[in-house]
Amino acid sequence: MSSPASGLAASADDPRLRRAFLEEADELSQKLGESLQALEADPSNMDTVNEVFRLTHSLKSESAFMGFARLSELAHRMEDVLGLVRGGSLSLGRPVMDAVFSGADRIAETMAALAKGGTDTQFENGAILRSLSAAAGTRAARTGGAGPAAAVGPAATSPAAPTPAPVPALPERSQAGAAAAGAETGPTGETLLQGLGDFERAQLAEARDRGEECLRVTVTVDEAEPMKFPRAWLVFAALESAANVVRTVPALDGQPAEDAHYARMSFLLTTSDPEEVVRVASGVDQIASVKVERCRFDDLLSAVTARAAEADAGAVEAGAEAGSEASTTAASAALTGAAADTDSRTPTPPEKTSIRVDTKKLDDLWSLIADLVLNKSRIAHVSETLGKGMDPEMAREELAEAFDDLDKISGGMQQAMMDTRMIPISVIFNKFPRLVRDLCRKLGKSVELSVSGEETEIDRSIVEALSDPLTHIIRNSLDHGIEFPEERVRRGKSEKGRVSVSARRQGGTIVIELSDDGRGMDVPGIRRKAVGMGISGAESFTEAQLLDLVFLPGFSTKEVVTDLSGRGVGMDVVATRVRKDLKGDVALDTVPDRGTRVTLFLPLTLTIVNALLVRGGTQLYALPLTEVDSTAKLTSSELRGEGGRESAAWEDEEIPVFSLGALFETGRRRSDEYFALVLRHRDRRAFLVVDELIEEREVVIKPVDDLLNAERLFSGVSVLEDGRLVFILDTSFIRRENSDREAPWAPAS
Amino acid sequence: MGASILIADDLSFMRMIQKEILTERGYTIAGEASDGLEAVEKYKALHPDLVLLDITMPNMNGLEAMRKIFAFDPRARVIMCSALGQQNLIVEAIKAGVKDFIVKPFKPERILSAIEKALRI
Repeated sequence: MSSPASGLAASADDPRLRRAFLEEADELSQKLGESLQALEADPSNMDTVNEVFRLTHSLKSESAFMGFARLSELAHRMEDVLGLVRGGSLSLGRPVMDAVFSGADRIAETMAALAKGGTDTQFENGAILRSLSAAAGTRAARTGGAGPAAAVGPAATSPAAPTPAPVPALPERSQAGAAAAGAETGPTGETLLQGLGDFERAQLAEARDRGEECLRVTVTVDEAEPMKFPRAWLVFAALESAANVVRTVPALDGQPAEDAHYARMSFLLTTSDPEEVVRVASGVDQIASVKVERCRFDDLLSAVTARAAEADAGAVEAGAEAGSEASTTAASAALTGAAADTDSRTPTPPEKTSIRVDTKKLDDLWSLIADLVLNKSRIAHVSETLGKGMDPEMAREELAEAFDDLDKISGGMQQAMMDTRMIPISVIFNKFPRLVRDLCRKLGKSVELSVSGEETEIDRSIVEALSDPLTHIIRNSLDHGIEFPEERVRRGKSEKGRVSVSARRQGGTIVIELSDDGRGMDVPGIRRKAVGMGISGAESFTEAQLLDLVFLPGFSTKEVVTDLSGRGVGMDVVATRVRKDLKGDVALDTVPDRGTRVTLFLPLTLTIVNALLVRGGTQLYALPLTEVDSTAKLTSSELRGEGGRESAAWEDEEIPVFSLGALFETGRRRSDEYFALVLRHRDRRAFLVVDELIEEREVVIKPVDDLLNAERLFSGVSVLEDGRLVFILDTSFIRRENSDREAPWAPAS
Repeated sequence: MGASILIADDLSFMRMIQKEILTERGYTIAGEASDGLEAVEKYKALHPDLVLLDITMPNMNGLEAMRKIFAFDPRARVIMCSALGQQNLIVEAIKAGVKDFIVKPFKPERILSAIEKALRI
């Protein structure tokens, strides 16, 4: 057994821990200052409120670990205040801001002192703590004090509100009483068995008929447990896994009473496996004692329930004699009370999501709306004068013009609305310098990061989903791509590695590149591995095909890829996120000893796309224009190869021919001439034979249910004005094998 | 080799403390995550025997991450790390199936015994 004194006991003295603490807490403190300034500029910004809350929370936890009690207390009080603001019950007025600011300043001072080898005890924080309490207190006075500070005693909580469930079941017992009652059955036991309600009785009767046993389990939570209420819940959850818990005292539903209330819990339960109950109950950590007793169903169910129920009736009788009936009512009152409580619990307000939009974008939208209003009156004018005998030909011209304008305006409005969804990718890129710095420190590597194109705008929802994959790729670069300084020097490279991140817009696509000048990936190694894993055709795969394997879930496991001195774990996660969630694509290229580049191709937005509408059988499909190179007519004489493996020439290349009829098994019309699209997916092209080319138009993409999309052929659906459904094709299928009979998306065979 | 554990906490200091305690006892650190999203993805990629999940994290908080992890692996062993005052969040997590919770600041014995018990279940 290693000594428990390791690690933490000596925490504040351990120089390594202290250094780590100083470094991170100082950063938190600085960020706190910055966030507070941002908050002062825009007090309504909930993101900033949350950020400040989190920072104070983090400072509290870290300093508590280091034993800096004063610092921790200060941060804790600030966290409390921000918690109230976050919950909407305290507004950020001047006094509150001032108190929080002075707290932050004091934290910064304390950090500076600690950095110089001082302690937090040299600071007297009384005045600041008082102003923070006052800030929080103003609110308590205003809303009537049901807040966290109002938990006075078990029986005497908020005056007017109906007391929460556990209270009626726990008459006049003091905290001391609970402790003194100790291991004996005591008062808790009484209330557990007394005055069972109809529902509880019914449960017991059914369990008896099933041949189960009835147990009373009494659990004492370890005194050292700082949060007894959740601990009691954990016991309850464990018991429920092996039994049916009929009753719990004190009750656990509803709002918790003071935590110490739950130091000793009693459960009445039925089970077919008493040993399992004992096992699960003692499997919960932080439990001082578990006592399990058998109860007799008949005693519990008989009219004189409480009195005869148990052998240790001494204490019971005293209570039950006088109050049998009263306690029945009390208990059912407690039950109905609990039910009412659940119903009337403050309804969770619908989640408000707000976004920040550049006012310039809103101004653009406004001026378009002004145009729209003008246009409306123009049309109204025509309709009016037409009634008064206006020349119909003039009216027609006038209307045609108005319609043209309307077209422009609606297009502009759509663009302007979309623009409000766009945010610069710098939101993510800004995190990278720190990430790289931290990783370098951790790994003992040296890397220069260069970032470009961070002003490129991209849809908000894409940005949110992108943060992780990008972080992951950078980590991989530093972990596995970039060599250690000595190795780099040995290989004639500069000691410092380079990682570059860039973003740019290319038509309707955002291209993000992350490259490093590390050791590159071992392509022959991947091929050996692929062949070893039995991936058919791997012997003749192109380099691009081999690298694409890294994105397969089974392939990029730790053992495999790290062996190959290639990427680390989880490129499949990246690929799934980018390809499936973001409808984008990801590609790898690598040069041994020169480095690796990961390129992400992402749609500008996930919601609206310019597409070509086509028909296959009776169904309509849409293909994003960005993925259609051209349209073509194919004659049957141009087709080469057997049904299922057909190809035809396009420009200088022989490319595969797919058809909607084959893809969706609606059958392929035989004819001499076919309409086809030339689709492009990254470096790959293919013909897609369709029954009819309808039109080019914008479609609004809606997510498609996985059930309908088991083969991942669609990136979404859209509904036309006339209600017809359009499936939006995910053109990546052209990278799969084409075949009439077999699913064209099956892995190459 | 000891069971593998994924540590998720946005504070590197916290991760360092946990890592020291765990490695000293012979556990393997499967990985570290500095926010909820990363925790979920690392869980999926690394299949650790157990996850220590901090509640208060940026991007995706611990509760949400816990839900995503359970959605991926209903048998996941998750221990929540919380601070005082987060009772209700912990109870939510318990209802969802976490094996235990620990309260910061914790002693090394506490985290070790929570993990031992959770691994036994």
